[in-house]
Amino acid sequence: MPSPATYEQRRQTAGLFLLAPSIVVLLAILGYPIVESLLLAFQKVQLAAGGIDRQFVGLANFQRLVADETFRRALLNTLYFAAAEVVLVVLIAFAIALLLNHPFGRAGLFRILLVVPWAIAPVANAVLWKWILNANYGVLNGLLQSLGIIDVYQVWLGTPVSALNFLLLVDVWKSVPFVALLLLAGLQRVPSVLYKAAYMDGASRLQTLMHVTLPSMRAAIAVAVVLQTIWSLRIFDLVFVLTRGGPADATVLLNFLAYRVTFNFLDIGYGAAIANVIFVMTILLAILYIRLVRPAGEAAR
Amino acid sequence: MSVLLSRRDMLLAACAAGAAASLPFDTARASEALSVFGPLPPDPAPPGAAKFAEAAFEAWKKAHNAQVSYDLLAWPQLHDRMATAFASGSAPWNVLYMCGWVPEFAAFLAPFADDLPKALVDDLPASSFETVTWQGKRYGAVFTLSLLTLFYNKEHLAEIGFSAAPKNWDEFKRAAKELTRAGRYGFVANYGDPAGIGGTASYWMAFLQQAGGKMYGEDGLPVFKGDAGVAALQMMMDLMPGSDPGSISYAGINDATNVLMAGRASMMMNWPFMWNAAQDPAQSQIVGKLGSAILPAGPAGSASIDGTDAWTVSKTSADPALARQLVEFYLDADVQKRQALDTGWLPIRLSVLADPEVQQKLPNAAVVLEQAKHPYNSFVTPDFNQVTQALGTEVQKALQGQKTAAQAIADASDLVTAIVKRRG
Amino acid sequence: MSYAHHRRGGFSLRLLTGAGLVLFVIWSAAPILWLALSSVLEQRALIARPPDLSPQNLTLSNFITVIGSAAALGRGMLNSLIVALFATLASLALGAPAAYALARLSVPRASAIAFLVLATQMLPSIAIAIPLFLVISRLGLIDNLFSLGVVYLSFNLPIVIWILRNFFLGIPDGLEKAAAIDGAGVIGTFWHIVLPISLPPLGAAAVFAFVEAWNEFFFALILTRQSAQTVPLVIAAFAGQYQTVFGQMMAAALISVVPVILLAVLFRDWIVRGFADGMMKG
Repeated sequence: MPSPATYEQRRQTAGLFLLAPSIVVLLAILGYPIVESLLLAFQKVQLAAGGIDRQFVGLANFQRLVADETFRRALLNTLYFAAAEVVLVVLIAFAIALLLNHPFGRAGLFRILLVVPWAIAPVANAVLWKWILNANYGVLNGLLQSLGIIDVYQVWLGTPVSALNFLLLVDVWKSVPFVALLLLAGLQRVPSVLYKAAYMDGASRLQTLMHVTLPSMRAAIAVAVVLQTIWSLRIFDLVFVLTRGGPADATVLLNFLAYRVTFNFLDIGYGAAIANVIFVMTILLAILYIRLVRPAGEAAR
Repeated sequence: MSVLLSRRDMLLAACAAGAAASLPFDTARASEALSVFGPLPPDPAPPGAAKFAEAAFEAWKKAHNAQVSYDLLAWPQLHDRMATAFASGSAPWNVLYMCGWVPEFAAFLAPFADDLPKALVDDLPASSFETVTWQGKRYGAVFTLSLLTLFYNKEHLAEIGFSAAPKNWDEFKRAAKELTRAGRYGFVANYGDPAGIGGTASYWMAFLQQAGGKMYGEDGLPVFKGDAGVAALQMMMDLMPGSDPGSISYAGINDATNVLMAGRASMMMNWPFMWNAAQDPAQSQIVGKLGSAILPAGPAGSASIDGTDAWTVSKTSADPALARQLVEFYLDADVQKRQALDTGWLPIRLSVLADPEVQQKLPNAAVVLEQAKHPYNSFVTPDFNQVTQALGTEVQKALQGQKTAAQAIADASDLVTAIVKRRG
Repeated sequence: MSYAHHRRGGFSLRLLTGAGLVLFVIWSAAPILWLALSSVLEQRALIARPPDLSPQNLTLSNFITVIGSAAALGRGMLNSLIVALFATLASLALGAPAAYALARLSVPRASAIAFLVLATQMLPSIAIAIPLFLVISRLGLIDNLFSLGVVYLSFNLPIVIWILRNFFLGIPDGLEKAAAIDGAGVIGTFWHIVLPISLPPLGAAAVFAFVEAWNEFFFALILTRQSAQTVPLVIAAFAGQYQTVFGQMMAAALISVVPVILLAVLFRDWIVRGFADGMMKG
């Protein structure tokens, strides 16, 4: 039997050996582009014959951000969008995971159906929803009118609040499947002895959910929240197809703005500055979420 | 791009375009390779990719001992792929399609159009060079006359006693208002996307010129903050009560075109492609009911904007002369005629536009030709995307009633001035 | 009432579950149903008000056209398959050991490393597009399936590591200790003990990596030309400047989703039966 010290040492050596390939791959592919994009944020970049002309301008791009009305709008929209999306996606996905974990919901068909909204090519998905939501011939209007819910066809993407929330709805629809899959995998790891014990103790279902299921799911929920936060802060394709950020910049989100500035305006330095704002926001939120779940995570070990 | 790859690319491009026949190549012979970047059909794609003039294209390649590989992409993605390549200094293409992007990418292009044969240039509308000229040099040749004109449902207009399209702003407003009834709208537009050719800002530019205004002064600074600019926007606002309220949400022209083709809108400003689409019973409920006319005149007469589909030649082309010859081939009178007859994209050559066979097959050719006698500047500059984004957003605010026309134009002028000054 | 009965719940819970499942099916399937209908209707029927579902508007022409020009779609699907399989297998092969190391193998500063790994995905990919393009074009690897696959690997790997690490963190300590006492090495324990009980998260990670690579659009747009074009670009080609051939686009989208569904069917058993189920049988 190995002594504890050697056991730990062997595990550490093996750990570094197992970890190294991933780190090397990530550094080799993403290292330079990430550093470069950080540098670009402090530069004025202009297209010139044969490539780009770069000049360090210090914090000028970030100073421009502060005065940029569209950026402020995008920032507020994004904060609302990301917060609402994370909450909705995790709640709906959790409910679906519970349903599919119930004996009734275990048919393989449900699990396949679950995956489909996410598996549809996003560009086709966005165009599909553009047609569904169309103000003149969209099937949503037709359906709601025939059910008597609306009197006249509505311009779902025509007013700021409605447009932003429909973007949200569509993205929630598309994002729920993967998070549900993740939570389902988490649910299946909750040891059934715990449920059995709770049952023997006469715990109600709600009590079981609160005191057995949720604590065991903390790690899975944390992963879901962090990943969904990352994805919610970089929504792009839906905005591109459905609203183009309009009407009147009402649905402009930060990542779409970064795209617009970088690729439409070719203002590459300023675009990089916006992207780096997203970067910092995501990091801060991720750290916050990880801190929030840490005590229980540590306790569980 | 290597010679070996280009053969594969060519075949793939042909397949992607749905071309049935595979194209014979003689790879044993050393030949010049040209790489062409452009849109996929049904947007205006080059011969051999779109189904027209394929035999002539084969013959041209043979005669010039050239291989042509097409790198074709859906139109909405063209600018992104091109911008990335240029920004990294490695654009592999010899001949490039441009749509209002010439000033933006002028540093990468050769002013080849100055070398085009005089006979050819004389057969092109002089104003078609406006959007491909930057700082006095001609970097491109427009290959299809693509101007906004008015399309209307003849049946609907007859119902309110219009035997022809509205001729001026007052008639236009009145018709739109009277036609809005029984689940139909007088007018529909795609005001959802503010920027670019065909975006909200460019619609306003058409009205601006109808009101006698223009975008920039000699110094390159905006001069639209005046009566004409405000009148143009006010006209757009006045049309709104007679318009499909969805217009503000239609981000692509296709969204609005569908409403016209469903027979639930009576008038629309649209591009020449509209004609054939509306005659296709699989997608249209207004087959045979479509009329076409020049845009209603404002205080200064009719005016439009240019769709500006142009071919340009890259500065880094190994054989610029051959690249220019390919563009000349695309502009050849016979190729242009096939383009018009087989794809519905109008020619740019005046002689082909006047061709009776073309006019008979495409009744709107005469209308577009007539429209071309009026101003149709799209005011492209290196900041075109940014300018139209800012301007179009202000126009949207006015259309939604958030701002008065005067306020929106004043704000737009400030924004555009800042953009132009930042370029320096 | 036995425990098995209890799991199904009383009448009201069963009713609630049934209703919930119905809602779930409507939520997931209704838009998909509309997608499918759109692919078999003439466009004139889809722009009617309300949409006109009468039989004379049914058509297979969208599918016939899309399959008829199958060179583009078929080629795109093959390219996507190659790229997505590579990105999936490579991200699992690299990511599972790395996640295990970061979760259990006393690597110094494991939490910080794990966070940094994930942080590579917090910078919007749009920001790295131009520098990445620069590198890949200098290497002459534009329009190359391998370079596209490697880029997707770098996008997927951090997520895969993060998902798996959090599952590995929950494995009871005793399991590995017992294996060590039985004389299993670290790698042996990982391979024979840890991986077999981690099939649900591995399945989730695999499906994730595959779907993301299969559907990725932006980098496929800038890094490919014609020969390495993947399926999202082929689908996007139905939406042009002036016209969107909606029915054909939906037909192509339906065809392109088939491999993903097949994959989900294949992995269904992994996703369904975790070790918790195995333990329940006792």
